[in-house]
Amino acid sequence: MSTLVNRRARFTPYMLLIPATAVLLVVIGWPLIQLFIISFQEFGRAQVFGAPAPFIGFENYTKVLGDPAFWNVMVRSILFCLVNVVVTMVGGTLIALLMTKVNRFFRLLLSVGLLLAWAMPALTATIVWGWMFDTSYGVVNYALTNFFGLDFHAHSWLINPLSFFFVATVIVVWGAIPFVAFTVYAGLTQIPDEVMEAAQLDGARSTQRFRLIVFPYLKSIFLVVTILQVIWDLRVFTQIYALQGIGGIREQTSTLGVYIYQVALGSGEYGIGGAIAVITVFFMMAISLYYVRQSLKEEQL
Amino acid sequence: MRKLSFVALAAAAAITLAGCAGGGTKTPAADDGPADIRVWLVGTDTPQDARDYLKTTFEKENPGSTLTIEEQSWTGLVDKLTTSLSGSDSPDVVEVGNTQAAAFTSSGAFLDLTDQYKALGGDDLLPGFVEAGSYDGKFYAAPLYSGSRLVFYKKDALAASGLTVPTTLAQYISNAEKLAADNPGKSGLWWPGQDWYNALPFIWENGGEIATFKDGTWASQFSSAGSIKGLEQVQELMTKASTAPKDGNETNPQVGFCEGTTLQLSAPSWVKWSILAAADAETPGCPDQESNLGVYALPGADGGAGQVFAGGSNIAVSAKSAHPGLAVKALKIILSDGFQTIYGKNGLVPAKVSLASTLGTDEVAKAISSAAGNARLTPASPKWADVEASGALTDFFVQIAQGGDIPSLAKALDAKIDGILNG
Repeated sequence: MSTLVNRRARFTPYMLLIPATAVLLVVIGWPLIQLFIISFQEFGRAQVFGAPAPFIGFENYTKVLGDPAFWNVMVRSILFCLVNVVVTMVGGTLIALLMTKVNRFFRLLLSVGLLLAWAMPALTATIVWGWMFDTSYGVVNYALTNFFGLDFHAHSWLINPLSFFFVATVIVVWGAIPFVAFTVYAGLTQIPDEVMEAAQLDGARSTQRFRLIVFPYLKSIFLVVTILQVIWDLRVFTQIYALQGIGGIREQTSTLGVYIYQVALGSGEYGIGGAIAVITVFFMMAISLYYVRQSLKEEQL
Repeated sequence: MRKLSFVALAAAAAITLAGCAGGGTKTPAADDGPADIRVWLVGTDTPQDARDYLKTTFEKENPGSTLTIEEQSWTGLVDKLTTSLSGSDSPDVVEVGNTQAAAFTSSGAFLDLTDQYKALGGDDLLPGFVEAGSYDGKFYAAPLYSGSRLVFYKKDALAASGLTVPTTLAQYISNAEKLAADNPGKSGLWWPGQDWYNALPFIWENGGEIATFKDGTWASQFSSAGSIKGLEQVQELMTKASTAPKDGNETNPQVGFCEGTTLQLSAPSWVKWSILAAADAETPGCPDQESNLGVYALPGADGGAGQVFAGGSNIAVSAKSAHPGLAVKALKIILSDGFQTIYGKNGLVPAKVSLASTLGTDEVAKAISSAAGNARLTPASPKWADVEASGALTDFFVQIAQGGDIPSLAKALDAKIDGILNG
């Protein structure tokens, strides 16, 4: 009797996983297979409307890998991603630490502010930020010129690629910090007070306490959040795409997500766009696998 | 326990996802019973009167059927049409920019309307737009309207600088620069960097071309001697006469005009209605400026009307329309004299040559007809829409507006356009 219950209990989790797996296979797996097939085909706008799509082997891939524009985009995306992940993680963690220190009222105020920033759709946020940084009528130029005496009259924030990515970073980080802050704050509340108290009595300074106690406790949380941030920031689309519509030079500001869109949907080169997307998928999988393996290794120690 | 709750969460997520996915399916109805016809119009160019006329006439002529107008935006239109026209939930009748039409006529996205050509207006339809809507000897997309680009100006500003309406391109340039010099901080000619349509006349008037077709290959011509000369004039105007954002786009030109910082601007004819919109409208204008608002057609290098870009739209029936019969009926109403007259009255050139008189006889109408007489199109390649969508042209002119080196930028642009047109 008991073995039967055990066996049933053993299978229950897998039974419950079936619907999720099935949906994932249909919603993500099938398009992924399609993408993979298209990346080996000559697939333009005529093929979308039913013309036959011939297989052309690795031609799309050699075209992409031989195109300096692709490598520029790749390097740009990685740099943008690194800066954003670092700023987001540091900012988010600092806000989480702040939330443990302030009283209930301010904690609530902070939470509400973070939630509102988080709830704002990326497109809406980008357009509003775009207005603030507007060349002719933006509040940022107005404030810098009138309150700080700097000459920012009709200053274009987006025309210089570095300045463009500064604005993009502000928007992306602003939108991503709430997730990091809430997750890290949730982790911080789990650290036993006794341990922190003991460390304090032993004379550990606050930086030492963070480095030697808080960080090891929250290591797995930091790992997961960082991987998620890397993936999100590497494939960032909405903010860059909307900003490019407001100003700036596309060729100098495209990141991977936007570049795939421009090649595939903008120029009607679905095959080549597919190849870039497949390369991106493998690149992101490699990053994730590396981190997962690192964390597994450490768990075994 | 922890593991189990995670599994439960996953199952719940799966059910929610499945719930979302189930909503969108639709069974195709049999043709030409009472049905709802979806018409995609792009931008705000088509006046509300015309929209109402289309809906009421269609629903009166086809009892039981309804017609829904869905407004789309010009930004990203080519990709939006590509995905929606190829899907199972395709709109029935769609407007498309005349320079974008070839991308769809050549790929089988539109219903073949060759046998409807006579019924839709025949040889009375605007010839350049019929050409834009035809492919391989078949007729796919009818003309919808044409809009010339005109120059709007403030009469008092021009008079204050002692200037008159220019009669040559050179005078147009010197006028704009004088206005800017006399009014520091204001635009003698408002020209945001992304607005490449306005640069084309300078290229054409100096003997340049966008691209030429020879022996089966396209050759982009931005770095030819004539084009370079025109681009130098463009750069001069953008840097010396305009205070518009160097990387801005041409939407909402009425803002600067109403605010008083824009003294001249070149824009499609319907911008007149944006400028004169009520002060409390959703996109407010300044109707009090009506008596101060002057308009003229861009002059050519040797006088007369310049060769401007013939902007406008075509309209077609989706090949995947579930109700092609009803869709064609709606198309016939759109090309009827009643509907097209509304365009004429609102300053857009109607799709039929015989209705040109509906434009009236005021200053705008005169400017429109002299501009339309010399209007030109972008290269007639199915891939031209891809050139526009790639953003290469807007990037190029933003860099020109910044004062970039014209010959090297033009050469790079030529290489890029050649790659797309011949790819």
